[in-house]
Amino acid sequence: MASLIRSWIPLLILQSFLVAIAFGSKEAEEFSEALLLKPLPDRKVLAHFHFENRAPPSNSHGRHHHLFPKAISQLVQKFRVKEMELSFTQGRWNHEHWGGFDPLSSMNAKPVGVELWAVFDVPQSQVDTSWKNLTHALSGLFCASINFLESSTSYAAPTWGFGTNSDKLRYGSLPREAVCTENLTPWLKLLPCRDKDGISALMNRPSVYRGFYHSQRLHLSTVESGQEGLGSGIVLEQTLTVVLQPETTSVETNMQPSWSLSSLFGRKVVGSCVLAKSSNVYLQLEGRLGHESKNVDTEIEAHKLWKNADFDLSLKPDRVLRESSSLLFIFDIDKSSDSEPFDLGLTWKLPSKWSCQQAPLQATRFLMGSGNERGAIAILLKATESQEKLPGRVVTDGRCTIKANIFQIFPWYVKVYYHTLQIFVDQQQKTDCEVLKKINVSPSTDKVSSGMLEMMLELPCEVKSAAISIEYDKGFLHIDEYPPDANQGFDIPSALISFPSHHASLDFQEELSKSPLLSSFKEKSLVRSYTEVLLVPLTTPDFSMPYNVITITCTIFALYFGSLLNVLRRRIGEEERFLKSQAGKKTFGLKQLLSRLTAKIRGRPIEPPSSDSPAAQSSFLSSKLIFKIILVAGAAAAWQYFSTDN
Amino acid sequence: MLADDMACNARNEYPAQVFNNENHKLNLYGDNVEVDYRGYEVTVENFLRVLTGRHENAVPRSKRLLSDEGSHILLYMTGHGGDEFLKFQDAEELQSHDLADAVKQMKEKRRFKELMIMVDTCQAATLFNQLQSPGVLAIGSSLKGENSYSHHLDSDVGVSVVDRFTYYTLAFFERLNIYDNASLNSLFRSYDPKLLMSTAYYRTDLYQPHLAEVPVTNFFGSVMETIHTDSVYKAFSSKTSNNKINSEMPVNQLSEHDELQKANIPNDELKTEKQKCPYTQMRVDLHEKLEKFENVDTVVNLGIAVMVFVVMISSSLL
Repeated sequence: MASLIRSWIPLLILQSFLVAIAFGSKEAEEFSEALLLKPLPDRKVLAHFHFENRAPPSNSHGRHHHLFPKAISQLVQKFRVKEMELSFTQGRWNHEHWGGFDPLSSMNAKPVGVELWAVFDVPQSQVDTSWKNLTHALSGLFCASINFLESSTSYAAPTWGFGTNSDKLRYGSLPREAVCTENLTPWLKLLPCRDKDGISALMNRPSVYRGFYHSQRLHLSTVESGQEGLGSGIVLEQTLTVVLQPETTSVETNMQPSWSLSSLFGRKVVGSCVLAKSSNVYLQLEGRLGHESKNVDTEIEAHKLWKNADFDLSLKPDRVLRESSSLLFIFDIDKSSDSEPFDLGLTWKLPSKWSCQQAPLQATRFLMGSGNERGAIAILLKATESQEKLPGRVVTDGRCTIKANIFQIFPWYVKVYYHTLQIFVDQQQKTDCEVLKKINVSPSTDKVSSGMLEMMLELPCEVKSAAISIEYDKGFLHIDEYPPDANQGFDIPSALISFPSHHASLDFQEELSKSPLLSSFKEKSLVRSYTEVLLVPLTTPDFSMPYNVITITCTIFALYFGSLLNVLRRRIGEEERFLKSQAGKKTFGLKQLLSRLTAKIRGRPIEPPSSDSPAAQSSFLSSKLIFKIILVAGAAAAWQYFSTDN
Repeated sequence: MLADDMACNARNEYPAQVFNNENHKLNLYGDNVEVDYRGYEVTVENFLRVLTGRHENAVPRSKRLLSDEGSHILLYMTGHGGDEFLKFQDAEELQSHDLADAVKQMKEKRRFKELMIMVDTCQAATLFNQLQSPGVLAIGSSLKGENSYSHHLDSDVGVSVVDRFTYYTLAFFERLNIYDNASLNSLFRSYDPKLLMSTAYYRTDLYQPHLAEVPVTNFFGSVMETIHTDSVYKAFSSKTSNNKINSEMPVNQLSEHDELQKANIPNDELKTEKQKCPYTQMRVDLHEKLEKFENVDTVVNLGIAVMVFVVMISSSLL
């Protein structure tokens, strides 16, 4: 042992030189977790879990990860993904009550089902192949049928309507995909502490899936290391947004329900994840204007913030931040453990009402028309009450306008006629040039690719409502292309309405390095909202027809060939004729019968087996005949004898 | 392969939970469930592709049956079926000759050592009428002309929660504890036609070993208790050589309305414990020493530097 140590000392000196050289690539990976709780005006509670994992760029080709999930870094390396977002959602984000203007709803209000978009770093000709392979790899990783996005009929290549400006961007959506435990489990397995420790241990599956809205999202972006082929830095952001309704015992509907972490999730936080750099719980309250004073330094003032006439928090926050009308309480859960679990609770004492800020225009989409031949799609944009108070109104040529981008994908069986596009502003039809500033149309090809429409509208600020309608014809699918439940209908994926002149951000004046959640809120993000998914009933064939066709064809064939064979081969009345001839043989005479029979035998050689030589035949018959006569005579005599006996 | 999403269905009163009993004691849809094929992907084509291994290149490994000639495979199918067929998604059928063909291909490609097929449908025994490959064991819940029935209705959830055959199979396994060495024979004999309301028929003509000697853990996974030992190679010091030690497996949960579940247990027979010899002791010490270093990268760099140094010296000497 000692000799071994002695021999290693000079080599250790050498090692120190190497350490100095290799020091540059030894930046550490970082992981941080956060939970944001926010009571919503319609008696519900929003819980937003945020996990961020950063892998620094490295100079070496292969690298070790100790916090960052290897599956993701392999995905990025293999498919040369520059940016990607995958979300699984069930439920509809209620923009009226839950808000549409804050960064949380802009980033987390996602369309129903699976939505995937990715930007690649490969030559233009290989983007589609990379997309196809990426969808397969993701379907294996997340136990979902994302591989259905591989066919060119289900994805599109948006240009400017989506918000990301790139020609190597592909976007696809599956509205009918179910989301369940089997999707959450692999998503949680990407975290260093899985779902065993820290904030992710709160995720009780029945509680999460009981919510009104749940959306798990994975967003990754690469930070270029500057050199070709070397490991680039990756930032992986995983968020889970759940809207829950706490159970209340109080009968009055004016009061907001009181809740705590254990009543929402059935569990408490027992310690943070040891691998996390920061682990915090935030509570955000909106509409807190007025009675709070600016001065939070004094103890009494600070105490009044979290225990006052309106509400009570069960734990003391570590810090309190304020931004215009929202109040943020920060709790550090490093100190919690098994013996003192962290169970934050909020008790309302007085009824309070507030409203969340909404996007300038609220978008809904619906179908018009009836029948299985044609119809129309309409998007309605209605002004919300917060329209006047919003920043970011653009003034051009003395007029104030709101810019709205609309991005839609139409599957190929919804054959849209782009020339029937009509725009109505305040129920008056406008010619396109007045309102439509930019339009990009990619028409669909039957069974090959889907159609895409991107529009930029410039509406006056005082607009009350705007409507866009477009007509379409319904296409026919081949019988193999129908899903098993074809009579339910087919989905048109959600349209995306974004407002490029408005940016949502929440700035709490906090140092950025501490909290990734707050720094992500601080970045200016595009205000966007997704519309509903439309269900289009298409004509379905009679699926039992192949069976019917086979049955009727076989019946016809059977009848045809059967009757043909009967006509050709069967002799009807052959039996009767034979018997008649037999009977006739007795009355007419032996010789005539014999001659008839021999004639028949000679005429048709395939007669029943007694085809001996005519002479033998005749002798045989004659002896048989004589025997029969004798038998009958004997029977008659016996009958006579016995009958006279009585 | 689950064709319908039962657990997170909008009509399920208990979201993310699937029970096999009215008392709601056991949630089968636990935290570790992974479903590889679901929804519209559950088709006869995909099923046969999984069995025979003929996938497109892009299909990821988790969606493939990665078995070799030493594997034991459990194939469990349930749903609606009839004389020589099984229904898929109410739109397609899997026929008995297709299944037999796929199994024959699997045997030719040496994709399994032993295969157990368990079918719980009406007239289930007809589904494996056409099998001819050796090494296959099959059991069905009913004979031709018989129906298979559900066990009981859960009025809370609104559907029947489990079929009779599956219920009695689960009841058999729940009676065992981890160290029981129950054999397949005892499992097959535990089915009572009066309770099942059908005859559970099994076919052993293609399966060579005697059923009484085959433990159920050959096909059904079990949760092994892991015992922490301080030093390596000292565990289980008095076991004989023909005792098979399985590595830890996930619990093979049979939940109702499954179309298919596979458990792939490699039958690697581990060696017995290593004797304490100086070579292994040295390796253990070296291993412990290496673990003390926090930065494995630097040790590797160090090793390379040493090699370069030695090469330089030797080349200068020559």
